Amino acid sequence: MIHVSNLKMSFNTVEALKGISFSISQGECYGLLGPNGAGKTTTISILSTILKASEGEVSIAGNDLGKDPLKCKKNIGVVTQEIALYNELSAYDNLLFWGSMYHVPKKELAGRLEETVDMLGLTDRQHDKVKTYSGGMKRRINIASALLHRPGILFMDEPTVGIDPQSRNLIFEVVEKLHKEGMTIIYTTHYMEEAERLCDRIGILDDGEIVAQGTLSELKASKSMKESVVISFTNLTDEAYNTLAKKWKDLQRFDDTIHFYSMNVQGELAKIILTCNECGLDFRHIDIQKINLETIFLSLTGKTLRD
Amino acid sequence: MIELVKKDLKLFFGNKQDMLLTLVLPIIFITLFSFVFGKLGQPGKGNSGAIVHVVAGTSVMMLLFSVAGIGGSLIDEKQDGMLKKLLCSPIHPNEILFGKIIFANIISLIQLIIMFIFAWLAFGLDILHHLAPLLLMILSTAWACSSFGIVLASFARTRQQVQGLSTIVVLVMSAIGGSMIPIFLMPKILQDVAVISVNYWGIQGFYDIFLRLLPITDTDFLLRVLALLLIGTSLNFLAFQMFKRNIRRIT
Repeated sequence: MIHVSNLKMSFNTVEALKGISFSISQGECYGLLGPNGAGKTTTISILSTILKASEGEVSIAGNDLGKDPLKCKKNIGVVTQEIALYNELSAYDNLLFWGSMYHVPKKELAGRLEETVDMLGLTDRQHDKVKTYSGGMKRRINIASALLHRPGILFMDEPTVGIDPQSRNLIFEVVEKLHKEGMTIIYTTHYMEEAERLCDRIGILDDGEIVAQGTLSELKASKSMKESVVISFTNLTDEAYNTLAKKWKDLQRFDDTIHFYSMNVQGELAKIILTCNECGLDFRHIDIQKINLETIFLSLTGKTLRD
Repeated sequence: MIELVKKDLKLFFGNKQDMLLTLVLPIIFITLFSFVFGKLGQPGKGNSGAIVHVVAGTSVMMLLFSVAGIGGSLIDEKQDGMLKKLLCSPIHPNEILFGKIIFANIISLIQLIIMFIFAWLAFGLDILHHLAPLLLMILSTAWACSSFGIVLASFARTRQQVQGLSTIVVLVMSAIGGSMIPIFLMPKILQDVAVISVNYWGIQGFYDIFLRLLPITDTDFLLRVLALLLIGTSLNFLAFQMFKRNIRRIT
């Protein structure tokens, strides 16, 4: 459905994308995960024809993006990061406008509009001016405006930034419903729990490069990831740490906190605690860290998603 | 493209402040200037030089301020992310600017028509006997002025820049073009410079109709119409180039 090959983008001297490649099958939800400035929005902007890539090839639903952008545009819906709505118009008028911009036949537009507004839980407020809406409601209308022409492919660029939990859940449900109905989705986010919940496959983007991609279990397997027990101590000394390091090979110290790594943390938790007791250490806090996208990202890039 | 124009019209007529600034404020200024410059607000003095000057000069100047605001809405749309979303939709990017130009022309026409109807009703300006040349001059002035607003916006990066730039440029053009002081009262050098201003051609065209009483077929009159059309077309051409290089560039 979507093939991206060696995509590069430079802004003056800054290389925003350094030759990324990926393919997405029909009906798949693909997550682009990365911190701010990783190149997610640049990728989406190129795929949605807003930016012209410096190099590389993109095909969308069999159409070459460079040669026939208009054909590609007809197949895609774009949920931009910015809430792009006319505040002085009602939600209904905004949707009417976007529907007509995508050439939705007039006869069908009213029906589709009603259906979409209902799906996003905004039927009661559809005739109110957008400026009276909460941030979450605006985000939902922003999504609705990208769905009216029933695109086969949907690009969602951080659609849950700055909204309340209720709207976020509603958006998740909508994405899941669309995915279930067979829509191909590219979802960019820097919230790993969103990518974990919604995406079939994930591409981890850092500093303009895809450092890893696959399903969550493939990503876990590829890095031979270890779980960890994180313990903070009240009386950790260099001497105590050196004694611990002799008894437990795979550990790392951060100030008064030690990360104990293991393939089976649950099974070895008692042993770790016993070892600490033997060294005379007092516990302040104990935490078990399972493998998730955050830890995978950390191990791949050496930084957290919020960096 | 029609949808873009319809949307802009809906936004304009739904915004009381825009309506007030575009349609009511110029009427207030015309009334004020008419009374200030020689107690001219009396019926029957319609085609006097002062009335014609005040109506023509003020209308063109106020129109330039209005269209600068319309041009500024292009910058607002870029800053709000609307332009980005419009560029994703299946239209040619130039249609976005075309839509804005058509909208600016419609508003300009409405504003000028209202000004002259007001001048007819309030001061007895004889528009009924000059309908054809007046309409032609209104069309060409609207074309030139609206393109000026669009081109101004295409050079700017922020709304504040448009406002600052437009205030300076409109005031300078109005001063040298004869919106404030009639051109024949100015020094020779300023009279020569005046031809670079949109105001000059518009005001002289309205003088042709109401003071010089030239027919629509007169060469001098038609040359002024041509000058306005050329100014408008050139500025719109420049706006398209700048739109591609400046506004459409989203990083």
